[in-house]
Amino acid sequence: MTTKYLFACAAGTALILSALPSLATDAPLVAAKSKPCLIAGWEQSAHTCVIHTKTIAATCFICHGPNGKSTGAVPSLAGQDKEYLAAAMRDFKSGKRDSTVMKKYALGYSDSEYDDLAAFFAAIK
Amino acid sequence: MSFNRRSFLKFSGAGLAAAVAPQLAFAKAGKPHVVVVGAGYGGATCAKYLRMWDPNIQVTLIEPNAQFYSCPMSNWVIGGMRSMDDIIKSYANLPGYGIKMVQDTAVGVDANKRVVTTGKGKKISYDRLVLSPGVEFMTDQIEGFDEGEAAGKVLHAWKAGPQTLSLRKQLEAMPDGGVFVIGSPPPPGRCVSGPYERASLVAQYFKRNKPKSKIIMLDGHFDVVSKGPMFKAAWKKFYPGIIEHRPYNLVTKVDHNSMIVTSEFEDVKADVINIVPKQRAGAICAAAGVRTDSAGVWCPVNGVTYESPTVPFVHILGDSVASNMPKSAHVSNNQAKICAAALVEMFNGREPNPYPVIGSTSYSATSDETSGPIAVVMRYDPDKEAYIRQPGGGAADVSDELNFAYNLSWFENIWADTFG
Repeated sequence: MTTKYLFACAAGTALILSALPSLATDAPLVAAKSKPCLIAGWEQSAHTCVIHTKTIAATCFICHGPNGKSTGAVPSLAGQDKEYLAAAMRDFKSGKRDSTVMKKYALGYSDSEYDDLAAFFAAIK
Repeated sequence: MSFNRRSFLKFSGAGLAAAVAPQLAFAKAGKPHVVVVGAGYGGATCAKYLRMWDPNIQVTLIEPNAQFYSCPMSNWVIGGMRSMDDIIKSYANLPGYGIKMVQDTAVGVDANKRVVTTGKGKKISYDRLVLSPGVEFMTDQIEGFDEGEAAGKVLHAWKAGPQTLSLRKQLEAMPDGGVFVIGSPPPPGRCVSGPYERASLVAQYFKRNKPKSKIIMLDGHFDVVSKGPMFKAAWKKFYPGIIEHRPYNLVTKVDHNSMIVTSEFEDVKADVINIVPKQRAGAICAAAGVRTDSAGVWCPVNGVTYESPTVPFVHILGDSVASNMPKSAHVSNNQAKICAAALVEMFNGREPNPYPVIGSTSYSATSDETSGPIAVVMRYDPDKEAYIRQPGGGAADVSDELNFAYNLSWFENIWADTFG
């Protein structure tokens, strides 16, 4: 059931892509995430996890540009290496890597959210 | 089950439980219609993401202005660092997403029939209504404000637009040695750090062009309440003797003939007067019956769907929302995405994500080469029915050049995300 929806969602997204400018696509997420996850300690369906990641990734767009494609001094996230992005979040959190605002953000998300966000942005070409 | 149903039922709004089934039927029969009021950081973002995330949803965006004037960066115009052209953003890209733009003012809502009425007399039906009108000013709380504003001598410049330019021109015309009075209200209101950024950038202009001039801030709050250490350090370092911050000094009266600004404690003679009155949710929120917090000033919302808890099918975004979230462009944009994602789920007969997360980042410039940020992550807790601030958030203690570059980048990226 879940898998069926995800495929339908991916197919639908591919269709829309040609029609709309700079579309935030679900496709990378769907590819990256097909299992339930924990959000705030509660197990959630794979679909809810996809929606959650899509929505928190869209928070990142505000500073890092739509779909993680920045036009300013703040770096782009789109197409970056997945492991690099997740490690950056962990290093911001620990303070190993200096930051202006990213430590404050890293403290607000969980390790599994780092991984899901990293997969989301790594999949954007 | 893979879902915390107890919590879900607790937070589901008046309209949600009743709405999912009919909406599902509707979605199969045709295309659900969302009407969004206000094409700012909340409304334009919501309209755009609804269309991107589910092209089956029809979206109408009602906005009276032909183009957008950005409040973020408007202090840069007032301080002479940028021109009006830099803060005007076009709506030209939005129809490309399939958004129907209606240049008109929403003036009435029939929540039972689900119809919005416009100033030009149109009636527009909706399945879901999203109100993102920004604030309106409670000018009646300041004696003489309306008369002074009508005479062009008392400006708030707290909605970007013509008053932004008027205030800039008045500062340019002010003689050296003049006094610029900024009156600001206590929170909650739009952009709590804004008055302090404004003082900083006007002080920079005075320092370079009118060094004998002064800024007196009559602040309704007890201190520099946002980014306080950062602003105080910048004022001491860059503008010694120019800015005088007077806390606990809410403006109660203004006389534009004598140019006297009166606070709870004193009278101050001014050459240029800028008073930001207390604010409340935009008038359309009152018309829709959703301005229902205890003071009748802001709009309570369900933290998952942004739907009013009392008026089904009406959602509220941005500065009009009653919450502990900052009233900022960043938060409005972020709320819009959470609302859009929830609406997509509901229209498709599914439950929205019960655990939304909001990020808030705001930059303030202290000069034309230094800025500083504040950032916090807030996670919705369905059991507490509130967004909980996560540990570690807060403001920078100093402004610097790196953050100025990030501040510029923030403008470009949020404009691209909202209007691009």
